[in-house]
Amino acid sequence: MNDNAAVLAAYGLKKAYGGCMALDGVNMQVRRGDVYGLVGRNGAGKTTLMRMITGQSEPTGGEMELFGASGKNMRGQRSRTGAMIEIPCFSPFLTARENLEYYRLQRGIPGRQAVDEALEQVDLTNTGKKKFKAFSLGMKQRLGLALALMNHPDFLILDEPINGLDPEGVAEFRQILRALSRERQTTILISSHILSELSNVATRYGFMEQGRLLEEISAEALHDKCRTCLRLEVDDAAKAAAILQTQLGTDKFEVLPGNVIQLYDCLDDPKRASYALAQNGVALLAMEQKGADLEAYFLNLIGGGPHA
Amino acid sequence: MLNYIRAEIYKLLRRPYTYITLGVLLALEGLYASMFAFHNAHSLATPFGGAVVTLVEMGAIGFCVCLLTGDIVFAGQYKNSTLKNEVSFGLSRTRIYLGKLIAQTLLSIVYLAVMMGFFIGLCAVVLPMEPSAGFYSAADAMTIVGYFLAAGLPLWIGAQAAACMCLFLIHGEMAASFLHVGLIFVAPSIVEVAGLLLEGGIGELLLKVHAYFPNTMLYNAKAVVGDMGYLGLAWIVGAFWVAVCTAAGLYGFHRKEIK
Repeated sequence: MNDNAAVLAAYGLKKAYGGCMALDGVNMQVRRGDVYGLVGRNGAGKTTLMRMITGQSEPTGGEMELFGASGKNMRGQRSRTGAMIEIPCFSPFLTARENLEYYRLQRGIPGRQAVDEALEQVDLTNTGKKKFKAFSLGMKQRLGLALALMNHPDFLILDEPINGLDPEGVAEFRQILRALSRERQTTILISSHILSELSNVATRYGFMEQGRLLEEISAEALHDKCRTCLRLEVDDAAKAAAILQTQLGTDKFEVLPGNVIQLYDCLDDPKRASYALAQNGVALLAMEQKGADLEAYFLNLIGGGPHA
Repeated sequence: MLNYIRAEIYKLLRRPYTYITLGVLLALEGLYASMFAFHNAHSLATPFGGAVVTLVEMGAIGFCVCLLTGDIVFAGQYKNSTLKNEVSFGLSRTRIYLGKLIAQTLLSIVYLAVMMGFFIGLCAVVLPMEPSAGFYSAADAMTIVGYFLAAGLPLWIGAQAAACMCLFLIHGEMAASFLHVGLIFVAPSIVEVAGLLLEGGIGELLLKVHAYFPNTMLYNAKAVVGDMGYLGLAWIVGAFWVAVCTAAGLYGFHRKEIK
């Protein structure tokens, strides 16, 4: 598989529940090595999409490819994936080790050390005889992640994986994802409501709303779009641009339609720019500092909303 | 498939329910055997053969045990939402279904062996082996029980397949149990009554259908001990129930959303 090969590709994927479209023509590509952050409100279709990828639910339209295989051939490729969809669920009467051993046997993963390694990876080695039913949410999340990692997957699918983790757990989790991505080139599809956390790990983003994928964008492109700048509204943009170049010695700006300039320089001293423009006869009609984080970008994309 | 069955056995051996259920069933058997011993100490003189042969009257309990073993192996997969862990790894639904059915059947056979061994062994210890008037001898009783078991085994496996189907198709063990009881115990009675009430070909057909329900077949087996033709029919009927219930269960399970 070449570096840019799609690990997952969806073409016009649809899922209807009665008259309600949970997914409405989703086209997406997750390429090898991506840490793909899926962003969307509750009910946007993120979990439905992940459930379809993992075979828990069948699409009502469109096509999907996993490692290049489609249709019924996808099932064979799922052994190369690890998944944690919604709340991790295990047999309540078994311990963490017993639960993992059960799935190790079932999946034919050789060597009992696979269980120890997975438990060690998520720092869950000291739970002893405690049964799963007595686990805290954080412990359940860790065990879910351990199961997803146990078969050393090429493609990891994680739905809200940091729910219930304490700050230390979140940091450890971030390190695990980074290590998997960096050292094993594991492709990761991850959804989270904690967008600041997602922005720490994702290399690509997909924004979903009402069953549709609104936009796919790389982390670099998003960073460029979101970077902080001074937005200058002037009466003569061409003249202002020349002044910025000659007087301030900067070319870190963009001229936008409507006599608007986005200046990525002088952020710590905006008066320098306004003074230079005023001195050279350019009227500064408005000036504001502008910038967005992932959350603001998403809210802007969907046209505002109470929560992301 | 072997991996799947190994995993199921690993799980059920660590499930307290497995041992508690067997313990309760053995305790009831112990109580039953001790009733004979208690009576023998006072008035009656039931020998080993007389006690053991009563097993043929309790075949229907086997159908209920199928439901228990089915539930032990199924382990609340819908309630605990654990099926998603299996499906998302790419295990085929056919493998999941058949793996569970085989594990349930193996557990039922172990239960059957332990329960029979325990009851017969206990009777041998606490009851006199010498035959007495009006009771079967030990050898005759064992022949009858042996035939009954040989005829009952495929019918119980058929009922096991029905239990597996109910557990896979219906969310909630309680509802699945009702459906199983309905299929095994209630449906034959309804079909029989309808057969008796309706005249002509339909009535006759219904009475014939009634004869092929596992519970009816097992009930009738004790009256034809030694009839190899009936024994063969019991295996055919058992295999038919396994095939039909498994096909229906697989069909439904393949179309089910895993939530």
